[in-house]
Amino acid sequence: MNDDLRTLVSYIIYCYSHNHRPNQFIIYQLSEMNHDEKHQKPKTPTITLRKFTLSDVDAFMSWAADPRVTRFQRRDPYSDPADALAYITTHILPHPWYRAICIDNTPVGSISVKPAPGEDRHRASIGYRLAYDYWGKGIATEALKLTIKAAFEELDHLERLEAIADVDNPASQRVLEKAGFKEEGILRKYVRLKGETRDMVMFSFLLSDAV
Amino acid sequence: MDEEVTLRPCDLADVDDLYEYASDDKVSAWCRWDTYTNKEDLLNYMKTCMIPHPWMRVICYRGRPVGSISVTPYTGADRCRAELGYVLASQYWGKGIATKAVKLTLETVFKDLKDLERVEALVDVENFGSQKVLEKSGFTKDGVLRRFSIHKGMVRDRILYSFISTDPLV
Repeated sequence: MNDDLRTLVSYIIYCYSHNHRPNQFIIYQLSEMNHDEKHQKPKTPTITLRKFTLSDVDAFMSWAADPRVTRFQRRDPYSDPADALAYITTHILPHPWYRAICIDNTPVGSISVKPAPGEDRHRASIGYRLAYDYWGKGIATEALKLTIKAAFEELDHLERLEAIADVDNPASQRVLEKAGFKEEGILRKYVRLKGETRDMVMFSFLLSDAV
Repeated sequence: MDEEVTLRPCDLADVDDLYEYASDDKVSAWCRWDTYTNKEDLLNYMKTCMIPHPWMRVICYRGRPVGSISVTPYTGADRCRAELGYVLASQYWGKGIATKAVKLTLETVFKDLKDLERVEALVDVENFGSQKVLEKSGFTKDGVLRRFSIHKGMVRDRILYSFISTDPLV
């Protein structure tokens, strides 16, 4: 018996032992809380962000080798861990801001913040990928929220975070909206992806949005 | 008026005409570059940037250079898109010359630049003149990109406009 149900039962017993008529509104509230407990969505597991190391290559392959994950990415899925190791070495380790999304310190995805080229250092774009088995649990949203906070704290002069999502990727669009990003518009024929020119949705999160 | 606006590649001999607006504060206010103070700097810019540029034209009015217009493609996976930029001497503003130059550009640039499918332009939210030029040329407003770029040291909101290769020429 959970706490809310215990409270409900105690309240009813109290009423009858003291000759009170139970307050219908209180009964309703307590029974609703009990109902919500039973039907709540599974809680998002606790996630942490940390830097990658070379020993993360196997974990990295769990999403980087999966065509379901790479579907909206420019690269094809990795088939050889040696290629993944090279990517971690040449791209991830020297990157200005690249983190592993971890559950119990095991990477289940990654998230990166890339400052804009040239003089626009106030602006950076976010990209993220998550192993397929971990989709639908609120993990990407949570990783985004942690990243927004860390990026504005750690990157000097940062004022604008932006992200683009394929028009045919509503799951990613929802993740961005749930993390507090605002949709700015649809950019037609914006980028080449696997032989096709795609329309993308542009989202942004400003430093001033964080209050 | 239409026949009076023509586009042609840049020539180093154009430096005197181009310097007339490149040295004008009113013109450079909306541009990424600062007002030119000597012709040597401008000549250098013409040699290193304008002449080797993938798509750059001088805008002529009645045969005389009065501005320039360019379409700069991105690379790699982004090579399907390119950024439009143009500048016009201030005494020729408000006559529809920039609009005509943009329309002439859209007629040929998709054939000239391989892989190009999207021409986009970023315009300051307060640059109403340029917004009108793009709207009259058939561009679509994609949206407002908040705090998007730094202009003369200030972070600005920009309107993103686009013209796709399949959009109708107006």
